[in-house]
Amino acid sequence: MRLYEYEGNELFRREGIPVPAFAVVTSAIEARERAIEIGLPVVIKTQVLVGGRGLAGGVQTAESLEQVEAVTDRLLSTAIKGLPVRKVMVARKMAVAREFYLGVTIDGYEGMPVVILSSAGGVSIEEIARTRPELVVSRHVPITIGLTLPEAQQMAGEVGLNGGERGSVASILHTLYTIFRKYDALIAEINPLVRTVDGAYLALDAKVEIDGSALYRHSDLKLNLGEHIPNPLERMGQQIGVTYVDLGGDIGIIASGAGLGMATVDIIGQKLHPANFLETGGAITADLLYQAMDLVMRKKNLRGVFINLYGGINPIHEGAQGIVRYIQEHGVTIPVVAKALGNRQEETWEILRSGGVRVATEVATERGVEELARLLEREA
Amino acid sequence: MSILLNRETRVLVQGITGRVGRAQAHWMLEYGTKVVAGATPSRGGEVVEGIPVYNTVAEAVREQKAEASVLFVPAPAVKTATFETIEAGIKLIVVVTEHVPVHDVMEVRSYAWERGVRLLGPTTPGIITPGEAKMGIMPGNIFRPGRIGIISRSGTLSYEISVDLVAVGLGQSTVVGIGADPVVFTSMVELLELFEKDPDTDEVVIIGEVGGTQEEKAAEFIARRKTKPVVAYIAGRQSPEGKRMGHAGAIIQSGMGTPQSKVNALRQAGVPVADYPLEVVELIHKLR
Repeated sequence: MRLYEYEGNELFRREGIPVPAFAVVTSAIEARERAIEIGLPVVIKTQVLVGGRGLAGGVQTAESLEQVEAVTDRLLSTAIKGLPVRKVMVARKMAVAREFYLGVTIDGYEGMPVVILSSAGGVSIEEIARTRPELVVSRHVPITIGLTLPEAQQMAGEVGLNGGERGSVASILHTLYTIFRKYDALIAEINPLVRTVDGAYLALDAKVEIDGSALYRHSDLKLNLGEHIPNPLERMGQQIGVTYVDLGGDIGIIASGAGLGMATVDIIGQKLHPANFLETGGAITADLLYQAMDLVMRKKNLRGVFINLYGGINPIHEGAQGIVRYIQEHGVTIPVVAKALGNRQEETWEILRSGGVRVATEVATERGVEELARLLEREA
Repeated sequence: MSILLNRETRVLVQGITGRVGRAQAHWMLEYGTKVVAGATPSRGGEVVEGIPVYNTVAEAVREQKAEASVLFVPAPAVKTATFETIEAGIKLIVVVTEHVPVHDVMEVRSYAWERGVRLLGPTTPGIITPGEAKMGIMPGNIFRPGRIGIISRSGTLSYEISVDLVAVGLGQSTVVGIGADPVVFTSMVELLELFEKDPDTDEVVIIGEVGGTQEEKAAEFIARRKTKPVVAYIAGRQSPEGKRMGHAGAIIQSGMGTPQSKVNALRQAGVPVADYPLEVVELIHKLR
């Protein structure tokens, strides 16, 4: 779960990484009031869960209170990469002497944290690593040992930092690693960390993503689902306990596994247009499949639905009951084709057929999708 | 003779007294797996499906010489449970559980490596050697004994491609789910090495998906080692950037982990890559 910049800032502040004075606002009036407290000039920054807002005009300086209001008004009525801006951060603008990049992430293949430091911050780290590799150092850290302060200092030395600067940057890098471990982060990044002209070190951005599987042990973060999953259908998926990804088309999909779901999307996508990805996981119940049908059917202009289930750990006959209950209660008339294999499959097929679902009995998903395509052609 | 698991492997079921553990122990026994013990803290002395239950893994190892374990344990408890299992001397541990925190996976993996223990998963349906034994939740009746090895990140896709193969009379030597988390315990490369040494496997099918670099590393290995014939299918071609497609590790980030990069890497290594699951069968036929 990706944190908003202001949430990252709050985390940093709590854990000992300095950030500039800031406030989060949802109106121009509020922005003006906070700017007075913080002191001009300020930066107004859109709070959205996508990167690249700088290039999209999502960060603006304001030197007067009138500008603060005007910029805030303008930013709150825009969207960055399709995401509507609901909040902006008002932050003290700092006079920057030098910028650094600090990041901790995971090398999935090696199964280890990776710590990255660059003495050239404020730009794309991939770019700098490519063009000025001598300014970037990266270390794989054994998770049982962690990043020690001496090692952080050594890294800072390797990118040309000396004296007090080396000590300060290393200390913040060490704290960033501590935050990464303490909060089950997938990534914790400061780009840029700056040294101001007055010699203070501050994080001018905070990018933190928390492992969704670890949220249960971080209730103190008080993360609001509604604010972290912008798409309403995807949010609904999270709420009922399935993974739903909104795609652009008009053929709804329900699958009992993620790999099967992706393959079904790919197969349908060969000649038709998938409306969504949806996987139920291993805990199918009649109610869950009822709710999954309900969710899938909310997509506008749906022309058909393809259901693909394997019953190993999953009771597919129960799932079938939920599907049929939805169809009968809502008078679904678009074609629904289902392939369901595994334990109690014949019973499952009977239930599905009783609800008007076309049952694909061949084992290959490709054949079932062909059947759906034929039914759709007949309708047209 | 297959890899990792056969009819003689002495299997422990951790979490056997839970609803899922109990049901899956039943299906494993029915399949022919030598399930010799169960372990659930404070439930020692009970008997489930005729299997003696112990309080600790160490007791199960001592009393029943359990050598491999399959875990049906909730995600928050996996780290503690696997540490116990590793310490007790079990050499193969299958973690079926999904949504295990990544930091826990990293810690367990590091510890296992120090002790020379092989883990599989998380988020894996397990291992099946058709006709002999299974450790995990895959439906046994859809597989057939044969000579094709399967390595898969997705459980359900390993079922789909296996039924497609069985439909034309082709069976499997061993089917292994490596799971689909951002960090997995055992890589595709390690399993390819095992299949290379297995006299009962002629070809290997790799079932991959968007996210991570498992398939790219497998391609490097195949090109370097000139392995037995390998055929692949990669799911997730329609995945949008930044969205997790069900699996925690199935995501394109900063342009990395795209299905196309995997397809290209494999094809460059001489591995035929199917555009859809059923095509795997055609590609296998072309090899023979």
